[in-house]
Amino acid sequence: MKLKKILFAAVSAGAMMLAAPSFAATELSVQRFFGACDADFGTNTDPTKAVGECGIITSLINKFNADNPDVHVNVTTVEWPGYDQLTAQFASGDAPDIVTIHESVLSDYQSKGLLMPLDDLLKSVSVTPDAFTDAARNGATKDGKIYGLPIDSWTMLYHVNLDLFKQAGLVNADGTPIFPKSPEELLAQAEQFKQKTGKPYFVQNLANETALYTRNLYTYLFQQDSDFFADPKHVKLNTPEAKKVVEMYKAIFEKGYTTTDLDYGGSINAFLAGEGGVHLNGTWVVGDYNAQSETKGTALNKGGYAVYPYPQLFGGTHAQYADGHTWAVSQKDRTPEQIAAIGKFLKFFADNDFEWSRTGHLPAYKAVITSDAFKALPHRNTISAVADLGKPLPSAVQRQFAIQDIIGEEMSAAISGQKDVDTALADMESRVNELLANI
Amino acid sequence: MADRLAMSPTATLAVGVRAPTADIYAPQWRNFIFVAPFLFFFTTLLLFPLLWGMWLSFHKADTFSSGNFVGLGNYARLYHDKVFLQSIWNTFYFVLLTVPTLALIGLFLALCLNRRTRTAAVLRTLFFSSSVLSVTIVTLIWRIVFIPNVGLLSTIYGWFGATAPAFISDPSLAMVGIAIATIWWCIGLPMMLFLSALQQIPQDIYEAAALDNANRWQTLRSITLPSIKRTFILVIIIQIVLQFQLFGQAWLMTRGGPNNLTKPIVLYIYDTAFRRWDLGLGAAASEILFILILVAAMAQYLVTRSRGDQA
Repeated sequence: MKLKKILFAAVSAGAMMLAAPSFAATELSVQRFFGACDADFGTNTDPTKAVGECGIITSLINKFNADNPDVHVNVTTVEWPGYDQLTAQFASGDAPDIVTIHESVLSDYQSKGLLMPLDDLLKSVSVTPDAFTDAARNGATKDGKIYGLPIDSWTMLYHVNLDLFKQAGLVNADGTPIFPKSPEELLAQAEQFKQKTGKPYFVQNLANETALYTRNLYTYLFQQDSDFFADPKHVKLNTPEAKKVVEMYKAIFEKGYTTTDLDYGGSINAFLAGEGGVHLNGTWVVGDYNAQSETKGTALNKGGYAVYPYPQLFGGTHAQYADGHTWAVSQKDRTPEQIAAIGKFLKFFADNDFEWSRTGHLPAYKAVITSDAFKALPHRNTISAVADLGKPLPSAVQRQFAIQDIIGEEMSAAISGQKDVDTALADMESRVNELLANI
Repeated sequence: MADRLAMSPTATLAVGVRAPTADIYAPQWRNFIFVAPFLFFFTTLLLFPLLWGMWLSFHKADTFSSGNFVGLGNYARLYHDKVFLQSIWNTFYFVLLTVPTLALIGLFLALCLNRRTRTAAVLRTLFFSSSVLSVTIVTLIWRIVFIPNVGLLSTIYGWFGATAPAFISDPSLAMVGIAIATIWWCIGLPMMLFLSALQQIPQDIYEAAALDNANRWQTLRSITLPSIKRTFILVIIIQIVLQFQLFGQAWLMTRGGPNNLTKPIVLYIYDTAFRRWDLGLGAAASEILFILILVAAMAQYLVTRSRGDQA
């Protein structure tokens, strides 16, 4: 009798366990970079109260979970950019449902059939590609289909310490900074800045860095109308245009117009401590730097903070390198509930793109970029121009992060004097082409 | 021996009726069961990946598909790849920087701390404690020391109005910086091995030397060092094999930079196979590393053996 009871209890417990999932929320695994900040924003469900990339994305996902009790999003935060881990996850068949991927990297995974085309799913939740900005739509489209929900467009910017610019005599009558119009002018202004302030014109993170060098090169090649990726399988970098750019940065390095041994975190600290005039950093720090400039006692509060696109130094088209972040969805078998949950998540981010644009990134939606609320955000009057200036590499170019590493390594060697400029450019070109030839 | 056991007393007692006896040393298939668990893991986790790696190195393969047979194509690409050749040199340079230093400092610490005092025990624990840390923590600590402007080194140099050497970004110092962090991290094992060897030297030899009026230096040179010669070679072999596999410190401290000057072979393999998805080339590079470690270990083994024979 006792045994029968135990058996009955066990069967009932088993049945309940089996039945339980049907009442549970649909689980979604989301993997992202942008850092971890649970101590500050782990429980915040009001994105309007958050600042910076990490704060805003954490709060947005918290809000999504709170608003949608039938869906539960489990977030894994990876170190930027997280592609080594993602590749391993795809290879082992354990990819997250939704993952942050740069527009420049989408084609790597899309070309292997690892990502789900989102056209139909987005249509089912009333998000249509014509709502995206041109830059976002082009960046997220591969082979005529949308492979990622764009959330922004980003680029590198001139973040300016106005106090030091005033000391250097590099401000107009209206208080705006004076920027150079040619490489020669840049070097002259940097010299003037150094003489008057005793500090370097640039704050750059050059210690074992690759991305910054490469983005700078792309920008100034675009400004010379150099079509270095005319063939997406073959790059041309051993050119007079590239040489001009590298030699300009080499002169900046040799004449002490830049910080030299700082890593990324160190460069942010140095700029915030007022150790240089212009910090070359991305759209993503605009929100944080602006918040700093409004805090009394900081170096940026002293004379103000301003932010601008890269100045036009060459005679070609006004342009600068840009990229964008997207939410991509891995290709796997899913239940209709799971697909619907993913649709809800993507729709939520499309609807909340304004909050994300407070980071400093440019919105991926026409309705947001033209809205009064966006225009009223600080510094957007100066940086909105990037929406038209921003130019990515051709989308057919694969392994853009690996290419970025090669170009950055060789530029670093040339600028710091480890190699002469011609050798570095020749090596850069042959290494990139070797990589592309073996895909 | 087996034959003698087979002719057991039972057989001699019953003359003419030789009872069949079990030869416990005869090969029997069921004995295989005892080694099967080991063989299973050895085959699946070691042998199979080794052979698969060799197979991959002859193919053009990426992370998501394996392609055509290319023969020695990947090896030819490695031969012409300046970065790979640089990474081989970097690895040897790193081994050269760390292994002798680890052996000498390890020996020095062991000689100093080979006493039965409380202070020596505390210091032994302290010197060994860094070995239990993970590579992430070790590199984090040393980044805090080396980082420009706000790092420990910068602060100390700042007191004297000097600029600290840029151990993370200076082309001539970056590998030295990684070597310093590695030596600090790995010093525990050589020290312990030397300590155990020192404690095995019979005390009476030292007593005899004392009676002969041998001074400290003579005792060290004629008794201590010859007695721990084999341990010294063991430490060298272990450290060569370990340091050839440098990866974590270089990846976390310098990312292989500046301009690949701190990129060791393992980081080259990681970069090629997992970041560029060129799995075939990565596999070929790992076969080269396999051969290098094998040659280094064999050379050391042969040197040890021939010296041992002469002695």
